[in-house]
Amino acid sequence: MTASEGGTVLIVDDDREVVRTYHRYLEGTYDIREAYDGESALDELDDDVDVVLLDRLMPGVSGGEVLDRIRDRGYDVRVAMVTAVDPDFDIVDMGFDDYLTKPTTREELRRTIDDLLALDQHAVDVREYHALLVKAAALREGKSRYELEENPAYADLESRLSDLEATLESEAGDLTDDSRFVATLRAIDTAGEDADG
Amino acid sequence: MAEGDARADRYPLADAIPVDLDDFGPGMNVLVSGPPMSGKRQLVFDLLSPEGAAPDPIVVMTTDDPASRIQTAFEDRGVRFDPEVFRVVDATGAPGDSDSAIHRVSSPADLTGMGVAFTQAVDGMGTPDRLRFGFVSISTLLQYVDAERAFSFLHVLSRRTSAAGYLGVYSIDPTTHEDRFVNVVTSIFDAAIEIRERDGDRELRVRGLSGVKPEWTAFPH
Repeated sequence: MTASEGGTVLIVDDDREVVRTYHRYLEGTYDIREAYDGESALDELDDDVDVVLLDRLMPGVSGGEVLDRIRDRGYDVRVAMVTAVDPDFDIVDMGFDDYLTKPTTREELRRTIDDLLALDQHAVDVREYHALLVKAAALREGKSRYELEENPAYADLESRLSDLEATLESEAGDLTDDSRFVATLRAIDTAGEDADG
Repeated sequence: MAEGDARADRYPLADAIPVDLDDFGPGMNVLVSGPPMSGKRQLVFDLLSPEGAAPDPIVVMTTDDPASRIQTAFEDRGVRFDPEVFRVVDATGAPGDSDSAIHRVSSPADLTGMGVAFTQAVDGMGTPDRLRFGFVSISTLLQYVDAERAFSFLHVLSRRTSAAGYLGVYSIDPTTHEDRFVNVVTSIFDAAIEIRERDGDRELRVRGLSGVKPEWTAFPH
């Protein structure tokens, strides 16, 4: 994630008019990058990109091929496929995290991006929860209940844990959606090793 | 759970464990913990298909025993190996024929693949209202992914089944991990059933449930 609060979005479409429209829909909220074919999409991609809006049908390297290379290279990025028609196949199977059907409204586009960023956030929150639990377990070792109650660091940890638990439970309802569930696992799979707390 | 008709949503245990406990609530996640050869796998299977209880749809996700052994174990218990009501997600990487009841994943390191296979298994069974989900085992998973990823995966998977009202039962061998990891991973679960052996006798206790005292009880086999 970059300094921009909204995250960084890479728009990939061979139709420059489409790219211009999406740019207009998204500017001001997200950092935006653009590519007009599959090769340059891969050039534009780095660890700062959070979401890719990927046109499925492009001359040269197709959206599907770009996706395969993104997954092969292990980028921690969520990918929404953009198609002209409703996909007649299982997007969960294909490795996409979500899809959009053209023409896309401003609201749809932004909601899809925000949902993808939210499930990234869920993966980050679970990781944070794990780190805090490890810290709490370490503090408990060899300490009496009284010592722990007197320890302000432990009390602080306990309150952060219960806040985080409430956040995680509130986010968990979305997991019954298959594509959200799988995309969250993908975010866990692809999270960088250096992100370990 | 005070409403009378809500009990229908619960998961009866029949006599699977020698403890005064009739059932688990919908969405519960239970950890079965015990050393090697202590009968914990048997207990996980007992909780998925308790003798004498009305059968529920079952999905077993395995990282160690291949699907064929899971299948044999359930057939021995009289469970029909029918993809309408019983499926296995085999993440052992063991070769085998494709089968509508067996969803294969190349390795326990492929957490996304295991998630995809889970959704396909549940979708293939018509997304039932009730389902008992088993996971064997957390210890094997830990040989393929780091503790943080394993924790995150188990957290997300267990919340997924909870949100659907399913019962989740997971096994772990605590003797192969640091105490700290076992403590941390246990916090994912609503209850833990611990098995131990003392002087050749097997004992069991249930922790984490209000109304059930965590006392060691003989658990003969």
